[in-house]
Amino acid sequence: MTISEVSTKDLWYDINHFYIQEAWLLDERKFKQWLNIFTEDVFYFIPRRKNVYRKDLSREITKYGDLAILEESKRDLQMRIARLDTGMAWAEDPPSRTRHIIANLVVEPLENGEVKAKTAFLLYKSHLEYDQDLYAGMREDILRQVDGEWKVSRRTIVLDANVLLTKNVSVFF
Amino acid sequence: MVATKKYDVIDQSTGALDRSIFIDEAVYQEELEKIFGRAWLMIGHESLVPNTNDFFHTYMGEDPVILTRDNNGELHAMLNMCRHRGNRIIRADDGNAKNFMCTYHGWTFSSDGSLEHVPGEERVYFNELNKSELGLVQARVDTYAGIVFATWDHEAPTLEEYLGDARWYLDLSFNRRDGGQQALGPLKWMEPVNWKTPVDNCSDNYHVPVSHLSSILADEKVWGVPKRTAESQFNTEDRKHLFVNGHSLTIGEVSPEQPRYGHGVVEDNRHHFVKYQKDTLPEVEKRLGSKRARGLLLGNHSLFPNTVLGFRLALPRGPLMTEFWHFVLYDKDAPPEIKDALRWGLTGHNGAAGSFEQDDIDNWRSVTEASKSPIARRYNQKLVMGIGHSGPHEEYPGDVATRYISESNQRNFYNRWEEFMNAESWADIPIDPITADFDGTATMKD
Ligand code: FES
Ligand SMILES: [Fe+2]
Repeated sequence: MTISEVSTKDLWYDINHFYIQEAWLLDERKFKQWLNIFTEDVFYFIPRRKNVYRKDLSREITKYGDLAILEESKRDLQMRIARLDTGMAWAEDPPSRTRHIIANLVVEPLENGEVKAKTAFLLYKSHLEYDQDLYAGMREDILRQVDGEWKVSRRTIVLDANVLLTKNVSVFF
Repeated sequence: MVATKKYDVIDQSTGALDRSIFIDEAVYQEELEKIFGRAWLMIGHESLVPNTNDFFHTYMGEDPVILTRDNNGELHAMLNMCRHRGNRIIRADDGNAKNFMCTYHGWTFSSDGSLEHVPGEERVYFNELNKSELGLVQARVDTYAGIVFATWDHEAPTLEEYLGDARWYLDLSFNRRDGGQQALGPLKWMEPVNWKTPVDNCSDNYHVPVSHLSSILADEKVWGVPKRTAESQFNTEDRKHLFVNGHSLTIGEVSPEQPRYGHGVVEDNRHHFVKYQKDTLPEVEKRLGSKRARGLLLGNHSLFPNTVLGFRLALPRGPLMTEFWHFVLYDKDAPPEIKDALRWGLTGHNGAAGSFEQDDIDNWRSVTEASKSPIARRYNQKLVMGIGHSGPHEEYPGDVATRYISESNQRNFYNRWEEFMNAESWADIPIDPITADFDGTATMKD
């Protein structure tokens, strides 16, 4: 089935369901399964969010090529997940307890058959005894059909914080 | 006048370190004055303010500071505090502006800090205000290889003297190319640690094979990065751990062919780094001389007081909080594949989400927080490793440990802390003479 045959309503429903499933994979720490939602050539990008005057808002979100919080390939994500299995990834051992709340989905079918999907998120992280972080932000994904399944080929995560009020970013968005 | 010795926190003969310096609010306030109020502090890079009237907002300790390049191209580091009532006159990370208007009552300062305009100067101040005395508070500014430093203390030695022989080593990373370097960043986050712990950790090579083992193993498995085993770190033949004039350094003795980079070099891109080393070696040799260009690599290091591991800052935010700033620096004339690899690799390992950095934080935090309890404070930190096994070296300037893994830099760092904290003024703070042979054409500025 091609995108043109799917109504926007069905597309919205499918993608929304996809994101709900993804959030459960992350919060249930099924990271290897989570990795499967990405294409092999995925680019997972977290630019910095600058604090600039209104006239400079075109520079608020840093571009590719400037320093980012992360600019990762699938192998980078694999490395991060492989780390967890060693039992010595101290930032995540004991592991964080997370809750990903994904909302405000907007889907936009693209001419090449891919879909652009924008969501807002809140990610709560509780770690060790007393630490907690709350990340707010938006994700913009490009999704592609691979063997009849949606996969994310590009994910841009824009956090709302300037100075991150967190001891480390050890969780996935 | 000889200062009364007040702080005696590190026992050089046993390595016992008094934990209260990590937690005591009064000590912290004194550090802001006696260390951050006196030392040359790294505040940015020339490439962050390339054009006239560019500004970059930064900090000296807890004090907000505006780095500007004025109309004449001169750099200024100025307290971000309106001279009327004290409002911050800049609230953004960076930008470009000829002048800065205070949002409270409208006093307006030019990009060189002078007070240009005061609303109602004639009618309510009766032309009696001496505007020339009310410019922004200026720090002394100087640069080394494009890196901008500033100090509030007008009696401080020159930056060149302050860096001293540490520059002989720093040149290995920061002064390689004629075209200079470009800074990117910063990426900023909050680490719940005392600022001294990440600084002292920079030459704690003891922690690497334990704290970072998961990332070392995963990097090897996924990226083919040669493993840093405990064995390779404990082996000292080709690595040095040394201290110069307040600054902690580590170096490696390497072949002329070996790429001078760590994070960012993986099996797939190694050939780019090998080629870059080969292509640039003649230029680096012209600039640094053959000993440094052909045989040495700079490892982890920190500059007193708070420049951490390359081009990063540990900004104090109270005894138990540090704002961390991560920048990436690379040679302006490097090819895109080198720039991309360094930006990706340095941040992926040492940024807020860095696979190495994230595993450091709870360790640093716990050793800091242990100091809270009066029971725990009865038991000192034990910086005992390698006492009596460091000294002058015939080839390398500084106090050189005979093992790469040693705590001599840590003992020296807390000794330097005492020297600043116990001094009445800069006149009481010792500065090592410059003795290194700065072979080659590279200077502080070119
Ligand atoms: S505080 Fe700046 S003008 Fe009054
Ligand atoms: Fe570390």
